Amino acid sequence: MKEPAQPLIEIRDLHHTYQGDGGAPVDALRGVELTVRDGEFMAIVGANGSGKTTLARHFNALLLPTRGHVRVAGLDTRHREAWSAVRSQVAMVFQRPEDQIVATTVEDDAAFGPENLGLPTAEIQRRAEWALRTVDMWEHRDRPPHLLSVGQQQRVAIAGALAMRPRCLVLDEATAMLDPAGRRQMQDLLCKLHDEGMTVVLITHWMNEATLAQRVVALREGRVAFDGAPEPFFSDLQTLDALRLEPPPFSLLASKLAQHHPGFPGGVLTLDGLMDAIARLVPEPLEQPQTAAPRPVPTDVRGPSLVVTRDLHHTYLADTPLAANALNGVSMEAHTGGVVSLVGSTGSGKSTMLQHIAGLLEPRSGQVTVLGHDLHRDRGADRRSLRGRIGILFQRPEEQLFETYLGDDVAFGPRQLGLDRETVRERVRWAMHIMGLPFQAYKDRFTQSLSGGERRKAALAGVLALRPEVLLLDEPTAGLDPQSRRDLLGVLHHLNGAEGMTLILATHNMDDVAVLAERVYVLEEGRVVMQGPTREVFTHASRLQALGLDVPPAVKVMTALQERGMCTATDVLTIDEAAAAILRCIPAPQSSPMTEQTRHEEA
Amino acid sequence: MSRLEFLRYVTIGQYLARESIIHRLDPRFKLLAFGLIIVAITFSTTYLANVILVLMVVLLLILSKLPLGHTLRGLRPALPALAFLALFQVLFPPQTFGSANDCSVLLRWRFVELTSCTLQLILVSTARLVELFVLTSLLTFSTTTTELVHGTEGLLAPLQRVGFPAHELSLVVTIALRFVPTLALQMERLVKAQIARGADFGTSGRLGFIRAIRRLLPLLIPLFLISLRRSEALIVAMDARGYTGGRGRTRLRRLQARPADYLALVVVAAFCAATLYVDHASLDQSLVAWLRTLLRSLRGY
Repeated sequence: MKEPAQPLIEIRDLHHTYQGDGGAPVDALRGVELTVRDGEFMAIVGANGSGKTTLARHFNALLLPTRGHVRVAGLDTRHREAWSAVRSQVAMVFQRPEDQIVATTVEDDAAFGPENLGLPTAEIQRRAEWALRTVDMWEHRDRPPHLLSVGQQQRVAIAGALAMRPRCLVLDEATAMLDPAGRRQMQDLLCKLHDEGMTVVLITHWMNEATLAQRVVALREGRVAFDGAPEPFFSDLQTLDALRLEPPPFSLLASKLAQHHPGFPGGVLTLDGLMDAIARLVPEPLEQPQTAAPRPVPTDVRGPSLVVTRDLHHTYLADTPLAANALNGVSMEAHTGGVVSLVGSTGSGKSTMLQHIAGLLEPRSGQVTVLGHDLHRDRGADRRSLRGRIGILFQRPEEQLFETYLGDDVAFGPRQLGLDRETVRERVRWAMHIMGLPFQAYKDRFTQSLSGGERRKAALAGVLALRPEVLLLDEPTAGLDPQSRRDLLGVLHHLNGAEGMTLILATHNMDDVAVLAERVYVLEEGRVVMQGPTREVFTHASRLQALGLDVPPAVKVMTALQERGMCTATDVLTIDEAAAAILRCIPAPQSSPMTEQTRHEEA
Repeated sequence: MSRLEFLRYVTIGQYLARESIIHRLDPRFKLLAFGLIIVAITFSTTYLANVILVLMVVLLLILSKLPLGHTLRGLRPALPALAFLALFQVLFPPQTFGSANDCSVLLRWRFVELTSCTLQLILVSTARLVELFVLTSLLTFSTTTTELVHGTEGLLAPLQRVGFPAHELSLVVTIALRFVPTLALQMERLVKAQIARGADFGTSGRLGFIRAIRRLLPLLIPLFLISLRRSEALIVAMDARGYTGGRGRTRLRRLQARPADYLALVVVAAFCAATLYVDHASLDQSLVAWLRTLLRSLRGY
């Protein structure tokens, strides 16, 4: 048995009140009691507005208690003289890497913290080198930060925190902007640091990330609602629901299986745990796996091709020393009413493709045909007729709003098209309605007083008001919390299904792809390396992972089961489908009416 | 639409790594020497002084091992302006440069006359612009932005004692340099997003000015808000990393002057002093006069 570790951060009856937008006081924290012990790996979870970020900022005196006490290594954060010591012991990494990098080169940035501590030059050099080597960025030490990928930037930000030689690292949604490979690297790094004795506090709204921790603290309305081991917490679907949290996918699958199979163990968090639990129910690998007849793959011949690119090449900053090839001969097409997804890790050329389709870039060579027009041959009149027929939603669209009132911002596009007042009004009303921002209630709201999720909806409404036939979306769900993400995916589904809009989605979020896309093009370094119907592409899990991508959890489970010869089903994308497929493979428990019912449903 | 690539216009940080004496110079000394040469260029109005300066700049360029073509390429956009300036000076020469004064007329066509003084003005001002341009490129190509900032801070450090905010100033410059490319990328994205929503940043019709400003609002407002939000985030991040101002702060890189740095500065200073002396004493006039006498006496024989 290990000795109980020393408390590192002690929080007693912490209250925090700040001035809200309307000037009314908002109670963000209402009596938090929490002790972070030396060497712990803790995850802090909670819905939007539950006080996670506010709490984290008390850990190193970025915020001071309105009431109550915060002690870091015995030092009260209210004492100004203690701040320097507190901040060198508890370091923080924030959501957006580019907003925390101060210096013009990677090495100078890693040195910023130690410089502030007033250390001797030799020691600063040693620490900067150690920190950059730890995050594997030492080779890039002379590069300017804006030429790094987001994942690399976030690693630099971590190096900046590590160079302070803290005892505790607090990460506030630090993986939200990363692609799957970047996120995996980050999680591996955190586990490694924790193994070396670092205290890690991970604030996240992604529950599968929280399962890395040994202890989970859940917040609700500024109070600690749960504090304990992750296994019981994540198996308790009712509590999770009450806290407005999504269960991690493997726990969700386990509990779905347990509903039909009383013998199924609880407290399953990981893929391995799930495999073991299923293995116990399937005594020996089946000789002949019971396969469901593969669902007919939806054929692609839906309508005429709406968007076609042929052998597209593009070079950024051509004829300068910084020239970079972004596309090396990409051919793709999207049919009327279809949903096509371009996937690939950061820098694979997805965004460049969307901008070509939107006619915002000119290719070095190749052809782009949209709605029957060759974008680069047909100039002038023909091209103008395409205005408003292709909509594009860029990354972080919530930052692109500029009008004072929401209604005016949404109306910008239709007004530019020169439509009459009535039509503009009708379109704005329609677009806002679709996005769940009722016209009467929202048209006169100040754009800047809306929440991040509402602003993203407003930005999409502004694109929809053009009534585009093709909608291009660049990382539409990046950085959103689970609830906003679900809402947005619902809207996109509706636009495609009910409105018949053709969607082209550039993303590295495979769950979005699984929910929406019919066809997938996998890009790497400006080339299409895989393509096909979504279900088919996802059967190549290991290849996708090698490309820095991921597969949805349900696909992961089925792939693992198949490898162990326990169950075979090839066309599973969602957790519900996985549960159904697994139930077909494991022997039914005696006289369970539930199972009968499921069988019925499936027939 | 390469005009939509805003990073093209950001020329900060165009450092070209080379192993050269110029690259190795202590940035403080490099900046001082740079300043001295700028002063010399600014005050040199004669042919001879400018010949010396051109030679000096070329010598520095050779020493720095930078590619000549790449360095001069940046001049190309300025050529029409230089030509226009020259034409303007021929058409409207300063009063004092007329034939009435001490200037000889070289060419006369209708009302236009080209005097030796105008010619000198044109040639010398063109030469000075080219010298300044090449020198500035030399500095930015051979010095990283970090070195520039540290050099400036080092030079201003003595003023800290009389209350001059040298550290704060250099931090402001660093952060500005850090974020200019980022904001350029941001701006690019905004322009594209608004174009996709039907905005038109191209032609300007009647009332072009007002419309141009109105057209810019969809860019300026978000850019401004983004900058504000970013600076807030940056402040929190700097706070979290223990920044409490310049007091008690140490540096990753300590600048250490070597004898070579002092020597370089002395050489440049001597060079500049000599140039200014040549210029001030109008040695070229005396040289020309002397050559004339020489020719005349030669003819005499």
